[in-house]
Amino acid sequence: MSVTNVGHPASSHIHPPPDTFIKKYVFSLDHKVIAVQYFITGGLFFVLAGLLAELMRVQLMGPNNHVLSISTYNQAYSVHGSAMVWLVIIPLLTGGFGNLVMPLQIGARDVAFPWLNMISFWLFPPAGILLFASFLYGAPQAGWTEYPPFSVQASFGTSMWCMAIFLIGVSATITGLNFLVTIVKMRAPGMTWTRTPLFVWATGVTAFLSMIATANLSAALAGLFIQREFGVPFYDVSRGGAPVLWQHVFWFYSHPAVYIMILPAFGIVSEVIPTFVRRPIFGYKAIAYSSATIGLLSFMVWAHHMFTSGLQHWEQFAFMVLTMLIAVPTGIKIFSWVASLWGGKIRLDSPLLFVFGFLSTFTFGGVTGILLASVPVDVHEHASYFVVAHLHYVLFGGSMFGIFAGIYYWWPKMTGRLLDERLGKWHFWSMFVAFNATFLPMHWIGLHGMPRRVATYDPIYTSTNEFVSISAFVLGLSMLLFAYNALRSAKNGEIAGPNPWGGRTLEWMIPSPAPYYNFKEIPIVLSGPYDYGKPLPYANVDQELATVPVH
Amino acid sequence: MKPDTHQPLLDSGFWRAVVVMAVISAVLMYIVVVYPIDRAFLPEASVVSIPIDNLFKFSMFFSVPILVYVNGFIIYFAFRYRRRPEEPIDAVGSPIHDHPALETTWTIVPSVLMIVLAVLSYFIIPMYYPTEQAAKSDVTMEAIGHKFYFEFRYPGLKQSVMNEMHLPIGVPVTLDITSYEETLDVKTGPVLHSFWVPEFRLKQDMIPGMVVPIHFTPREIGTFRIVCAEFCGLGHSHMWGKVVVESKTDFDKWYAGQQTQAAAPEAAKPISLAGGDASAGQTLFNAKCTACHNAAPFSQTKVGPGLADLFDDPQHPNLVTGKKATPANVADILEHGAHGSYGTMPNMHANGLTDKDVANLVAYLQTLHK
Amino acid sequence: MAVHAFTMSDLEYAEIRSHRLLGFLFFLISDCVIFGDFIFSYLYLRNAAPIWPPVGIERPYLYLAAVNSVVLFGSGATMHFAMEAFRHSNRTRFVGLLLATIVLGSLFLGGQAYEYTHLRDTWAGSTFGASFFTLTGMHGFHVFIGVIFLITVLIQTLRGTYSAHRYFGLTAATLYWHFVDVIWVALFFLFYIY
Repeated sequence: MSVTNVGHPASSHIHPPPDTFIKKYVFSLDHKVIAVQYFITGGLFFVLAGLLAELMRVQLMGPNNHVLSISTYNQAYSVHGSAMVWLVIIPLLTGGFGNLVMPLQIGARDVAFPWLNMISFWLFPPAGILLFASFLYGAPQAGWTEYPPFSVQASFGTSMWCMAIFLIGVSATITGLNFLVTIVKMRAPGMTWTRTPLFVWATGVTAFLSMIATANLSAALAGLFIQREFGVPFYDVSRGGAPVLWQHVFWFYSHPAVYIMILPAFGIVSEVIPTFVRRPIFGYKAIAYSSATIGLLSFMVWAHHMFTSGLQHWEQFAFMVLTMLIAVPTGIKIFSWVASLWGGKIRLDSPLLFVFGFLSTFTFGGVTGILLASVPVDVHEHASYFVVAHLHYVLFGGSMFGIFAGIYYWWPKMTGRLLDERLGKWHFWSMFVAFNATFLPMHWIGLHGMPRRVATYDPIYTSTNEFVSISAFVLGLSMLLFAYNALRSAKNGEIAGPNPWGGRTLEWMIPSPAPYYNFKEIPIVLSGPYDYGKPLPYANVDQELATVPVH
Repeated sequence: MKPDTHQPLLDSGFWRAVVVMAVISAVLMYIVVVYPIDRAFLPEASVVSIPIDNLFKFSMFFSVPILVYVNGFIIYFAFRYRRRPEEPIDAVGSPIHDHPALETTWTIVPSVLMIVLAVLSYFIIPMYYPTEQAAKSDVTMEAIGHKFYFEFRYPGLKQSVMNEMHLPIGVPVTLDITSYEETLDVKTGPVLHSFWVPEFRLKQDMIPGMVVPIHFTPREIGTFRIVCAEFCGLGHSHMWGKVVVESKTDFDKWYAGQQTQAAAPEAAKPISLAGGDASAGQTLFNAKCTACHNAAPFSQTKVGPGLADLFDDPQHPNLVTGKKATPANVADILEHGAHGSYGTMPNMHANGLTDKDVANLVAYLQTLHK
Repeated sequence: MAVHAFTMSDLEYAEIRSHRLLGFLFFLISDCVIFGDFIFSYLYLRNAAPIWPPVGIERPYLYLAAVNSVVLFGSGATMHFAMEAFRHSNRTRFVGLLLATIVLGSLFLGGQAYEYTHLRDTWAGSTFGASFFTLTGMHGFHVFIGVIFLITVLIQTLRGTYSAHRYFGLTAATLYWHFVDVIWVALFFLFYIY
């Protein structure tokens, strides 16, 4: 095997540590500190967006409720969706986990452009503030997708939405560029592509998508903004514009965006499984290459969100076929992960439980996705609660369960302390049961005829909506278990040591939390990371560090 | 630290689990096949709803074993391969990295299933779009989305029908679908709607500037729902309609009735407001009017102004039509609708109101004070 | 980096340069995507329109734009030869050609401004105006930034920031300038010829 990147003389420099409070914690250039900043900010928006969801469910406890006015309800689900996508899931997975873990896993001291990394983060809080401030000027009401002509007619809050999402889009593009250069150029000596951890593969493909796809979002938002504020007639039917044009440009970004939201979670799953099953991941190459395939194909399926928008028949057919095609590499991953459990020595700790939750719910979401991929079936299911159910199964069941798996897994590396295992199990089980109770019934009422984005509904759906709302309240409460766990651990959690789980990737070869320079010497990689039972495949690394799990 | 290689790769325990999961799958797959969607869940009221439901069943049929086996193996492996307490904490598992035959199988089989699904779908898509042949023999009519009601234009009927589409059973229909408002200005003009009849399994977005035809044949007599399935504004949650499928005789009677109405001069006799029931009016108000109006003073605008003290507000003595706020003039607006800067107040047909409903509403509004 | 371009070793500089070059290329690619979106929008609206240009809208004058294009492509040529002069350590020739590039780029901007003020269609006036002014406006903005970039490079040259072997800022400016040229080829074709 040829060895690439023989030495990084510039990147292996250890510069002097930051000295002032501002340089250490505010405008930090350290990827690990920036990761914490992303986690805190993303976590805050998760709470806010979650509260909006609970408010929505109070309104939907019964038909014709007047808890929220119709206008407020519409604004609630629009900001809920926008915040969850752009202020929670994408920042947590890319800015949070990507920053925390990827440079460590490739044996680097930091990302390629630390200053740009800092800029990326600092675009995030203003974007979030701008989005929530839109409530003061009439927040957008047409969902996170903001289709014109309505979004052209809506109040100034929609222009604020355009600006907010534009800002976070710039942040995501810069992060994508930064991560991709880092992964291509700064892997430790000896880390060929087939010795690269799967989370790094996932982050790399995600970075490519972030960089290329997000540019489309910027263009779409700019187009909507100038139509609204300056009358530039892209979407003005009376002057030759086309509402469907927005749908094309928006979804050309937003479909890759959903892969931005799931690929890092796939990466997390691929890391947690070998560690807690203590055997190599099954089908490493298949998982790695299927990630790249999914990344490429993700640009070719966007119009499956538009099957009822007056597309030509050949367009509908082409997008249907490509969508079904993308299911195949996804299925390969799921089967490989399940096969990775076979013949292992499994420790059923919280990170692995959340991975099981991911596998169960994401597979279900994938199956309903195939149902939606077929055009004739989609014609009935589009814009109904069936789609609401599907998207939450893949984004909550998939991304959020993946995020929690990652949090429980890398918490010791980030903080130096362990989370309480019993609380973790309670959190998992309550979240898993409440999640299914909330979203499974939605398939039923969706198929039966309840549309989405409505503040009231036909009374025949009352009992199901009541059940869903109560389950949603329990789901919200289950998060308190995690909050309590996190606070307790931060105060006096058990000290973790460098490698509490017995992992074999490079982040576990240094102390917890990692020193600002990460590695005393840049490690040299001799083979792949998942070969449990063989000696550690690194030189220049402290082999004395325990690789025996604590429990 | 040596991997456990005493057992054969796939032992009897494994195959027992496979069989158990196969039985569970078989039971569920059987249920999928025999489940009577039309009787037990949602009527299959159009001809194309049957192949669509069958396609859905086909997908569910093959999804069941995927779900059962993925979840089943997770549970089975989690128990079977968990580290026993007596084993060392750092015991390792099997070193097997891959299995080309297995991986090829689980690549090829789903691909084949996807191809079959695509082919089956390919044949169903044209069933709900008009072909040239169908266009010749179909009855063609229009469905137009407005804020916030459905307008239907029938061949041979001078006036449109609002919100309640009548169709004769068994007659194929081509429905030209679009969205329209009287003002086309981008800031106040038409928005997207979507025409969805769940019982027909048909949906088509109503797009301003585009006319998209769909084609279907009703096959069951009954009253079915039309649901607006694309966000269109404050009235979206209340934008509902009805499809009444009836026998040819009943349909002809209805059609003739519409023609008579159309021939009759407009507003020949104002609606009688005598005996209006305020409490019935209140129920109606809460059900239909609160989408756009608050039972609150004028300034509490929602889409239209608040309607409390409608008849004795010195600051707003006139209605949007420019006429004085009297019960008769209010009844006029309820009957014929009105246009304002806010949008369109639908007429009584659009709102599904009878003469009695109008009287009740006016009675209620007379009692509505802040 | 805490280490200045002059004081780091050759190996270190090569590494930093390769990171920055890749990053800059990625930036140019994502910029292409934004232009691509608006080009798609233009083609979509044009395809959906019953007649093109829309009623009452004139196509802009080919002759003026052709002359302006020659100016811009000329500046691409002068930039290319400037780089060559730099690599041959011919400082005077380099500065002269760089100045010429700046002047030609500014002339292009002047030409665009002239054309804008003499067109009857406006940005919000029609779908043609929407596409034309958005795309050429974005491009003009990029040219403007490019001119600033080149002036900065000129100043850095006069201050002696670049050595014979370390001149990444100059490389980046050249790439950016050629990128601006390539985008213009597409826009010129789409709006004046097609």
